[in-house]
Amino acid sequence: MTKFKLSLITGALLASSSAFAQVTAITNATVHTSTEQGILKDATVVIEGGKITAINPSNVNADITIDANDRILTPGFIGSMNQLGLVEVGAVAGSRDAGDDKAGVDFDTSSAFNPRSSLIPYARKGGVTQNVAVPYGGDSIFAGLGFVADLSGEFDSVTDKHTALVVHLGAKSKGSRALSYKQLVDKLEERQQALAKKDDKKDKDKKPSVEETVLTQVLNGQMPLVTHLTRASDILEIIKIKEQFGINLIIWGADDAQLVKSQLAKAKVPVIISAVSNLPTSFDSLHASLETAGALEKAGVKVILSIGGDGSHNVYQLRFDAGIAVSNGMSHEGAIKALTANVAESFGIEGGKIAKGERADLVLWSADPFEISTHVQKMWINGTEVTTESRHDKLRDRYTTESKLPRAYTK
Amino acid sequence: MQKFAPSVLVLALGAALAGCQDQGPQKDHVKINKNPYPSTYAVSDSSSTLITNATVLTGTGERLDAADVYIVDGKISQVGKDLNVSADNTVDAQGKWVTPGIIDVHSHLGAYPSPSVESHQDGNEMTSPNTAEVWVEHSVWPQDPGFNRAREGGITTLQILPGSANLFGGRGVTLKNVPAHTMQGMKFPDAPYGLKMACGENPKRVYGSNKIAPQTRMGNMAGYRQAWIEATEYKLAWEQYDAAHAAGLNPDAPKRDIKYDTLRGVLDGEIMIHNHCYKAEEMAMMIDLGKEFNYHAGTFHHGIEAYKVADLLADNGNCAALWPDWWGFKMEAYDMVQENVAIVDAVKNSCAVVHSDSDTTIQRLNHEASKVMHTANRKGFDLKEQDAIKWITYNAAKSLGVEKETGSLSQGKQADVVIWDKNPFSVYAKAETVYVDGAKVYDRNDDKYQAVSDFMLGQR
Repeated sequence: MTKFKLSLITGALLASSSAFAQVTAITNATVHTSTEQGILKDATVVIEGGKITAINPSNVNADITIDANDRILTPGFIGSMNQLGLVEVGAVAGSRDAGDDKAGVDFDTSSAFNPRSSLIPYARKGGVTQNVAVPYGGDSIFAGLGFVADLSGEFDSVTDKHTALVVHLGAKSKGSRALSYKQLVDKLEERQQALAKKDDKKDKDKKPSVEETVLTQVLNGQMPLVTHLTRASDILEIIKIKEQFGINLIIWGADDAQLVKSQLAKAKVPVIISAVSNLPTSFDSLHASLETAGALEKAGVKVILSIGGDGSHNVYQLRFDAGIAVSNGMSHEGAIKALTANVAESFGIEGGKIAKGERADLVLWSADPFEISTHVQKMWINGTEVTTESRHDKLRDRYTTESKLPRAYTK
Repeated sequence: MQKFAPSVLVLALGAALAGCQDQGPQKDHVKINKNPYPSTYAVSDSSSTLITNATVLTGTGERLDAADVYIVDGKISQVGKDLNVSADNTVDAQGKWVTPGIIDVHSHLGAYPSPSVESHQDGNEMTSPNTAEVWVEHSVWPQDPGFNRAREGGITTLQILPGSANLFGGRGVTLKNVPAHTMQGMKFPDAPYGLKMACGENPKRVYGSNKIAPQTRMGNMAGYRQAWIEATEYKLAWEQYDAAHAAGLNPDAPKRDIKYDTLRGVLDGEIMIHNHCYKAEEMAMMIDLGKEFNYHAGTFHHGIEAYKVADLLADNGNCAALWPDWWGFKMEAYDMVQENVAIVDAVKNSCAVVHSDSDTTIQRLNHEASKVMHTANRKGFDLKEQDAIKWITYNAAKSLGVEKETGSLSQGKQADVVIWDKNPFSVYAKAETVYVDGAKVYDRNDDKYQAVSDFMLGQR
């Protein structure tokens, strides 16, 4: 991969900590692997040094053993398409870093990521361990580059940069969507021609710009192109462009996807949707339905669930959205994948599966992860156990703890 | 601000009093029609229905297992075990749950409908910080497909409010969630009007950024106080006029002003305050503001920090209509706690309400209440389904002033009822059948009872 990989640095940091050597075994778990292995009953999962090192080994020599008592263990959920770590308070301009008028193909917001944001521990309450953050961009149809961070809250938690290029297509408040398509095609053709020329002769030593590198990676399929659009005719239009350039396409939004589900399946295009989007909010979304996720799954489309609206503050709700998708036709296992393996595979990132050698991002649930009565019992990010406590809990405790002194003294 | 200055009002009062001395034949008594756009809602079906063997949450804190609900003439007739009655329709609800119809006290459906195109932005009259003269019912588009989606989620009554850009945003209206092609066809008969007020960031941002008062929170308070002073004068002018006329004198009626008609309605106790207000210190001041001008501060909507003043709210009889978990979209929404509703609810004489303010979560207020119940129970609360259902039924009805008509399955109340396919606090639960005044308005398993908006008809 030519993408920036930070796992080496992360590994080096972990090696210096004593936690590295610790072996944790989770026993008697009902493991939803998000792989072809499906669900494993009474299973043991061993983690060491940030990785899953064994599943059901013949014997376990663990420093810490956790008896899951048949409870469900899933891969950590992966949020996507939000601005987690790029915004603290939506209406406070100084706390927002996901947009800029001048944003374009090379707009990389990973440098602005704040792992100490209060949104991150809050998101962990929903069993979210990793997140694909995307900029919302500026004037250009090219919003910029997504990146991946784990939700450890540590300063080294950005795990992948230049993860995907985000493009906004479909309805416009001013002008025509036709021009958006032309801008996208022109940009790709221009780079394609430049690369063809380069191969012919000279210029080989000239260092390409970030934009050129990004477009090269999009053209050779290394970097997914995520296009936000919702109307059925737009879905077909972007599939044509995918086929013209052989790019690795992900469609985000896709309210009307049910109308063209077979074309999506045939083109092998993953679709990112909000499971609760069911209103005709525009003429591009007349067929939005709670049944979309299940219908796409049945048609063979790889579905990723993501939170609509303010997905940064609300990413913890992913599991409830998944439950709603299940009650409207999606399979339970498919919904788990839509929060885990499907995200990791579509974006080409680590995690999202319980298998030997995978990232040890794991969540032990009190019961069915989608049910409202269920909560996270334990969770691990990169092999380290993390808490779901956030400042919200501190506030609750302050105002529910009796004290003779003013509340300000309750800490 | 577009208002008559107090001095002008005093002159008008003087003129009215001078008119009292007029000895000529008495002119007709000028009376204000308080209901110029009356409800035309009519119950569509009066056949009797018996729902049997359900787990029933009454909305008044009770849970009855394997119980029956008997509906006659659009009203709850009996709730209990093994009712020995006959009905036109019998529904076997074995394994299912029955609750009162769900009530959302905070919706913008119809005023900010789908599709949310430019032509449909009818919820915020952002032309003056005091637009108490506007009535949101005049913006309601009954074809909003969101009404149908909400009904599929069990919503039988909802209050449509104007937006929160203004200190006084205008009148809200309470609707029955029945399909109709006029607003009047949905209007909840005889429900009190609400007046939308807004604290905090929104009014000061909308106006302050244009160098129009208010620009600050102290500017907000000054704006409310000035308006209530004027409304008090207006009320007095009409009362003096009415008294003089009743005494056989011949006064001239004060000049009519629909903005002050609404504010006076609050002072007269006929219109209920619905106040968008997030922060503890602001809610405390709005309660005092009500005392300063002798009206009740009503329901606080969005109250992110209600848990900080739970005692104060209960002591003063204020409902708090809250989200389970929305936060962080602006500074005044930063101090959210997930147990907010439960903390408010735990105080004696409290009135905790779960609301949506959303065309999406209005479809699942049962889930919204469930989130609170389960999160709070993990922190030592002992809330049960029969408690939590009150937040979206009885307490909501109380906030709207319709608790004598709907909000629980008590005998004689309007038969607004939902049959759920399972425990409504499960993420997998869905409303299966919805009744408004005993008439079936939605059936998940029968296309005949699935309403489609004009807007969606024939779209492909």
